[in-house]
Amino acid sequence: MIIEISSSGGFGGIPAAAMHKRIDVDQQAPSLRQEICDAFEPRDLRQLAARSGNSRGADRMVYRITVTDRQDGPHVYDIREDQLPAEILDLIDQM
Amino acid sequence: MCISVCPGGTHHPIQCIVPPHMLRVIALRGDERTAEMARSLLKQNQKLRQEREDHPHPCNQGDEAPAAIAGGGNTRAGSTFTPDRRVHDGQQKAALPGKLLRGEGDSPSDNADVDLMYDAMGEVFSLYADQFDRNSLDGSGLALIATVNHRRNYNNAFWNGDQMAFGNGDGQLFRTFMDLSVIAHEMTHGVIQYSGGLVYQDQSGALNESIADVFAAITQQRQLGQAAHEADWIIGSELLGPAIKGVGLRSMKAPGTAYSDDLLGQDPQPFHMDNFLSTSDDNGGVHINSGIPNHAFYLFCMLLGGNSWEKPGQIWYRALQELNNPMASFAEWSDQTVAAAIELYGTGSPEALLLRRAWKLVGLPT
Repeated sequence: MIIEISSSGGFGGIPAAAMHKRIDVDQQAPSLRQEICDAFEPRDLRQLAARSGNSRGADRMVYRITVTDRQDGPHVYDIREDQLPAEILDLIDQM
Repeated sequence: MCISVCPGGTHHPIQCIVPPHMLRVIALRGDERTAEMARSLLKQNQKLRQEREDHPHPCNQGDEAPAAIAGGGNTRAGSTFTPDRRVHDGQQKAALPGKLLRGEGDSPSDNADVDLMYDAMGEVFSLYADQFDRNSLDGSGLALIATVNHRRNYNNAFWNGDQMAFGNGDGQLFRTFMDLSVIAHEMTHGVIQYSGGLVYQDQSGALNESIADVFAAITQQRQLGQAAHEADWIIGSELLGPAIKGVGLRSMKAPGTAYSDDLLGQDPQPFHMDNFLSTSDDNGGVHINSGIPNHAFYLFCMLLGGNSWEKPGQIWYRALQELNNPMASFAEWSDQTVAAAIELYGTGSPEALLLRRAWKLVGLPT
């Protein structure tokens, strides 16, 4: 499974300052691999993306998360950072 | 923070040469000799602060009577409003608000970022209290909650509707987000939210961004005691990484010129409606098209002369309070500011005439 994460928005709104990460989950250590698979389960991400979230606020980032697996092909989700649980954000920072 | 800020915006001439928040950054990030100098000056500031607490001196009163002073973490006798600051350490995690390290009235912590944030929030609170008779972000004494050290290598600062959070940057593109203009910008998003709000999308979103930048510039200029023509009008002058070619994140004086760098690209902000950018990125270009109303405010301040936090700030603040249109366009906002200028200073006043001229110069005739 491949996970690609990019960000947009934020205080600067500068595309060049955005995050771009590509993680080959199969190449990760077993413990981290399981943690990533649990966190980036497409069904859960779909629910997070559908959440209305907190519409107040400003300067927050939006993450585009693309999960590609061998069976189903790519799944793309646009999720505002306040819609993602803190544990997933920490995992994104760690990866 | 510069606690010698006095009602009406007058400053003590000596202690305010280098603002303490800058000294704290220098103490953290300067070379050994410069950092030592900054630490020494900070100690002097602390001593002066204590002396002033023990022996308060009368300040020069401006035309407008102050409601409160909170800049240095201390409110003065007779203040109507008192801030309730709470600074948390995110410990490089995403969970908010994190560990509370300094609450209102607490002694300085051992954490320079926490103390910088505490003082900067006091400065912004003081601006809204003194100049606009506003008690905190909501007008009713809302607690000012900030988290520093938010996440790891996080290139951002935001207002989430209830509190602010600040990353430390990745050290390459951004070296910090602990900058008075950024803190004032985020707090102003709170003021906008509690003033009827501006939907964070397209033109109303760009107005939300612009008004946050306007009051960020006003805060900074008031703290430095700078008249409009003396200011640099840069938002985020402390932010860019050491190798980035630029002076900050946005320039209200010359939108589109804040940076030009191989890594960061070219500042995309327009200064005129002819170059308004239609895009679906960044909530419809809220951080890009804000350059147009930003530049109109700059032009108005320069045409009028004097201090941005006085007449121009009063006009922008009144317009925000009376807007009552969360989906406002640039044209509707410019009309609102002119209406505010007329209410405050009269139909044929120089303020109203020069404001019309400023809007016309950016392609928004009123």
